[in-house]
Amino acid sequence: MSRDHGFDRRRWLTIGVSSAVAASLPGALLRGEAGPQDCAAPIPQNHAPSNGGPCPYPIPWLDKNGNHNQSPMPNVELSSIYHFKGKLARCNGFHGMGTDNKGNRLAWGTPTTDYSYMAGEYWAARQAHQAIFAHT
Amino acid sequence: MPQSGLVFTPDGKTATLQMTNVPIIDQPRWPAMDAESTPAFMDFKLVLKAGAEAVKYEDPARQYRFEGFKASAQMEATFRVPSIDFTFKTDPLETSSADFAVMGDEVNGKYYEAAKA
Repeated sequence: MSRDHGFDRRRWLTIGVSSAVAASLPGALLRGEAGPQDCAAPIPQNHAPSNGGPCPYPIPWLDKNGNHNQSPMPNVELSSIYHFKGKLARCNGFHGMGTDNKGNRLAWGTPTTDYSYMAGEYWAARQAHQAIFAHT
Repeated sequence: MPQSGLVFTPDGKTATLQMTNVPIIDQPRWPAMDAESTPAFMDFKLVLKAGAEAVKYEDPARQYRFEGFKASAQMEATFRVPSIDFTFKTDPLETSSADFAVMGDEVNGKYYEAAKA
């Protein structure tokens, strides 16, 4: 790729669906790093029951690829997590202008410029978890 | 994400989502299958404001219900692709707009029936 591509051809995608970090982290931290992926189902020891891992469960009919499940629009499932209750917002189709480091004025935003937050409770590993997620 | 990254006004009608150094990828040829990607970072501030028009999206067969309001959404952001020394800064938040935005409350899956009760 080169900077010769116009900004309208760029696609800015997060690595993974969401940037997720436990809400109990210090409030001053705002780095948007993806959360630790240590939520895989643990191997039970001493014949303990297996309850799966604490990763959020994806929407069964949408998210099998783990990303870009569905653009927000009326009358669709807006959540990216199944077994969820809480606050949610989705938006897309941004329009705006900006400037690159060469001073070029460029438009930004496409129909797939999609942002969301989810804040509440999800169910995984047979217990409730509280978390805040952003999709950028 | 940190709890401090998402702030609501006391009336709950305005939400501000703000994050810095979010690791992303720059992928100009997306969605081509062989589209190469380059590590990048973004800082952004997104402000959603609920409007007066209520919306309810529900599908009992798929066990989801969203109740909320149509909203406005505006964003300002800075993008950085260090490997090619590229940065892009949007104009101030007030100059942007979004075609679609909603904010509200969702229940789905195992919470769907319980919330109905």
